[in-house]
Formats: sequence, structure tokens, C-alpha cells
Amino acid sequence: MKDDLIFIAQRWDIEFKHAAGETASTFFKAIMQRREILGRLCPKCKRVLLPPRSFCERCFVETSEWVKVGGEGKIQSFTIVYEKFEGLPPPPYAIAYVLLDGASTAMVNFVKGLDLNNLDQAIKKIKIGAKVKVAFKRKREGRITDFWYELV
Amino acid sequence: MKVAIIGVGQTSYGNKKHQSIDELVFEATKKALDDSGLEREEIESVVTAGSDALDGRGISNMVIAGGSGAYLKDEVKVADGGIYGLILGYLRVASGVFDNSLIVSWTKSSEVSTDLVSNLSFEPLYLRSCGLNSITSLALQTSTYIGRADVKDEDAAKVVLKNRENGLKNPLSHPLQKPSIKEINSSRFVSYPLRESYLPPESDGACALVIASKKRAKSLKKNCAWILGLGWVIDEYYAGDLIVETRHGVSLPLLKRSSEMAYKMAGVENPISEIDVAEVSDVTPYHEMMIYEALGFCRDREGKVLIRDGTTKMGGGLPVNPSGGILSSNPIFTSSLVRVAEGALQVMRKAGKRQVKNAKVALAQGFTGMSTQGSCVVILGS
Ligand SMILES: [Zn+2]
Repeated sequence: MKDDLIFIAQRWDIEFKHAAGETASTFFKAIMQRREILGRLCPKCKRVLLPPRSFCERCFVETSEWVKVGGEGKIQSFTIVYEKFEGLPPPPYAIAYVLLDGASTAMVNFVKGLDLNNLDQAIKKIKIGAKVKVAFKRKREGRITDFWYELV
Repeated sequence: MKVAIIGVGQTSYGNKKHQSIDELVFEATKKALDDSGLEREEIESVVTAGSDALDGRGISNMVIAGGSGAYLKDEVKVADGGIYGLILGYLRVASGVFDNSLIVSWTKSSEVSTDLVSNLSFEPLYLRSCGLNSITSLALQTSTYIGRADVKDEDAAKVVLKNRENGLKNPLSHPLQKPSIKEINSSRFVSYPLRESYLPPESDGACALVIASKKRAKSLKKNCAWILGLGWVIDEYYAGDLIVETRHGVSLPLLKRSSEMAYKMAGVENPISEIDVAEVSDVTPYHEMMIYEALGFCRDREGKVLIRDGTTKMGGGLPVNPSGGILSSNPIFTSSLVRVAEGALQVMRKAGKRQVKNAKVALAQGFTGMSTQGSCVVILGS
């Protein structure tokens, strides 16, 4: 049996309904209804956590209040994807961790509005420390992909 | 209580389409038992480490229980990378409850789209829809490192070349050709700044270890790898929480912490002079350099120096990844246990053509998580 082996093709096709919970629901609703990005303040370490969480894992206390963060920030890390990966969008696309003004932690999302076909040109613009602004979809559905970053 | 690795068993790595998953586990387990000199009946506890999502089987340790020698035994599974199996096995023997333990991990990358599984492994609310998988996450981490450590493409190519050259001397290695520096540096970008040539292959394979109490290990009168120190720690889940700090500090702060824990336990004060050989998780060439820094082999941002001056080559002051590392063979979930197995072979003086001369102390390092959130360090001695 060298070359006529049998393979059994199978799929895991399971639908999940993940509960966002109150904190993430509030965050997504603010994006959907008011085009606002909201972080959660930890009363102990005073960090504004993005994405928002109902507790701070460092201090292990509940976060206390919502803080509206700025619509601009700086790129902390980025990648430009040229490979078609199963489960991911058609390339090319860029993603970046961005520290928004007023937030203490960086949040990942797509960076759009940039020609990525010429890498050398693209990396002159998209780089660590580059300024970006948040842009919102016109028809928002309460998802993280309701917004993205654009270079300013 | 002191604990030793007394047996090592590995399949070769590559496409193992001639074996089903439990057959792969059986092969590695049998080899480890034969190497240890213990009979299956003498094994007191079994720790398995696999990923149900990669396996496409729920509670997959049930499927492989037979192959892991666990029939009628105390078997427990970790759902983290293989090195966590070693840690749990160590703790069980060190507690004195068990005399010995068999640890086995397996991965069959060829049966599944590992990229899809890694994307689905992300938290679904904030991360999964943002273009993330294992490779793009490592690329994000790398972009920060390149920015702060001024690492060149040539440095990365040298890491790849070193490990792939080493891999050619490892009879178990995934079958790969030796690339030239030019080929490495002209390879296309998969996820900038990571080129195709900077990424490990996807391998099938299984790796097993038998560990035993001091009393048992001594009674066997053979070369053992003594577990001198262990350290492991888990990071914050959201990679963006730490990123702001890592831009201004060591690249892998949590690995630094786990190495300090392991060094303290093993009494290592000056790693670069006290460690003879290291097997680390070179998930990308840049990560190998970040690891040098976090392990204290050099100062922060100077990982590239150890590559440029040849310190970590075979024959250098501290050879890193004589087995070829993950860049040569990558049975994903199992790769971290392979690091321990290869470190053990070095101090047992059983590493064949990849043996580092007079290796008395070996360091093995493993990651778990897409952005290396879990870091483990194991120090082994002859
Ligand atoms: Zn806090």
C-alpha cells in the first residue's frame, strides 16, 4: 500500500451563537448607533482598556466606567498580507494594532485606503508610529468590522 | 524530588500519510519506551498533549489513548503545546505520587488547513474577523521588533540558513532543501515583514518522553537528562495590551520571566557561559533573535549580534537549534516538546550527527498561543 491510500474527507460545520455580554454589547452599540469607540477604565491601574472588558486582569477588579477614546491614534505594529489564507479575506490587505488617543492598550483592525500592490511604496506610509484615524462603515451591524483605520 | 528524562521517542517529521493519528502516537510511544528500558506495564501515569481542533476529533486523547500506552492507566491530557505535557508530567512525578510518567504529543498538519484552525482559535468578538491567524500574528509581533532592534533581512536569512543547515544533519527532519541566502532574501512576502522563506514547514509527527524519579533513574544505570529547572508563565490574552510596553522594553517579557524562574531553580547565573546548547521555538527567524534576548543570552536588541558573530552556530559558543529547529520541522502542537526531546538527547549524548560536544547543560524553550502568550523554559543537565 504505497500510493492508493484512502482519505476520509470530513468537515466540522457547527454554528455557534457567542454571547457578547453586556460590556461588548455596549461597545458594539456605541459604534453602531453613535460612531463612538468606548474603552473601560480600570479604577486601580487607571488604564483605559480596549477592546473593553468588564474586569482588569492585571488588578483583578471590575472596571468602573466607560471612557470615549479619540478617533485618531498611532500604529504600534502592522502587517501587509499577500497570501490567500483559508478563512481570511482576499489579499492584499493590511492590519495594525493602533493605540487610539486616550486608550492604554492597542486594538487590532484593518488599515484601508492604501494601495498595497506596491510594497515599497506602501511601507513608506504604513509604519510604526504612523498616525491613523478611525473610519466607520455606512451600514453598521454591531461588529468589530464596522470600523477600520485609515492613514492621515 | 529530582526527576530525569530516561527515554526519548520521535517519529520522523514530514507528511505521514501512511499512518493514522493513533499509529503515529504508537510509533513515538514505543520508541520512547524502548529507549527508557521500561515496559508499558511499569508506566504509572500518562500525559497526552494534542489539539482537538487540529485533530478534527473531540476529546482526541480518547482516540490515541491506546497508542499512548495508557490502557488501564492514569491518563490526563493538556490542551496546550506539548511542553506543557512535560511540565505536568514533571509535577506528577516530583510530587512523589507517581514513580514515572510517559508524555506524548502529536500533530497531523497534513489533515487540515492549519491556517483556518489558527484563525478559528481567536476570540470571536474582537479578533477573529480582523485578518488574524498564526502567521499574521507573528508578522505583527515581528514588525514591532524590527522597528526597535534594527534587525536586517540578512540577519533573518542567516538564522534560516543556520537552522536549515543543522536540519540537514537530523535524520528525523522534515525533508527540505538547503536554500541560499539569495533565495531566502528574494522569497516573496506572505505577510510583511515575513517572507515565505522565513516560515516553518507544516509537518506531521509525534514525540514522546519517559520521565522517572531519581531512585528509578539511578537504578537504570544509563545516561539520563536531569530536569534541573522549569519556568512557565501566561501572558495577557490581548496582544495589544502589552504591545505598547514591548515597544520600549524587552520583546518577549513573559519569556524573560519564565527563564528567570527556570534559571533560579537550576542555579544558572550566567546563561551564555553556563548553557552548552539550546533548542528554542524559532517560529520565525526574528523570534529566534527575540528569544536570545529574553533568555539573557545577550542584551536587549542584540540578538542579531549572536547571529552575525556565529555564537549560535554549530561549533559556536552556544549552539542554538542543532536539530534544525522549528524552521526545519514543525509538527505545530508538538514542536515545543520536540525542543525538550532534542535538549535531552544532547545531554544524554545521543544526538548523533547533531551532537554538540561536551553538552552538559541544555535549555529547551516552547511557546503556546498565537502571539506567543505562553512561554516555557526547561533546563536539562547530564
Ligand atoms: Zn487594572
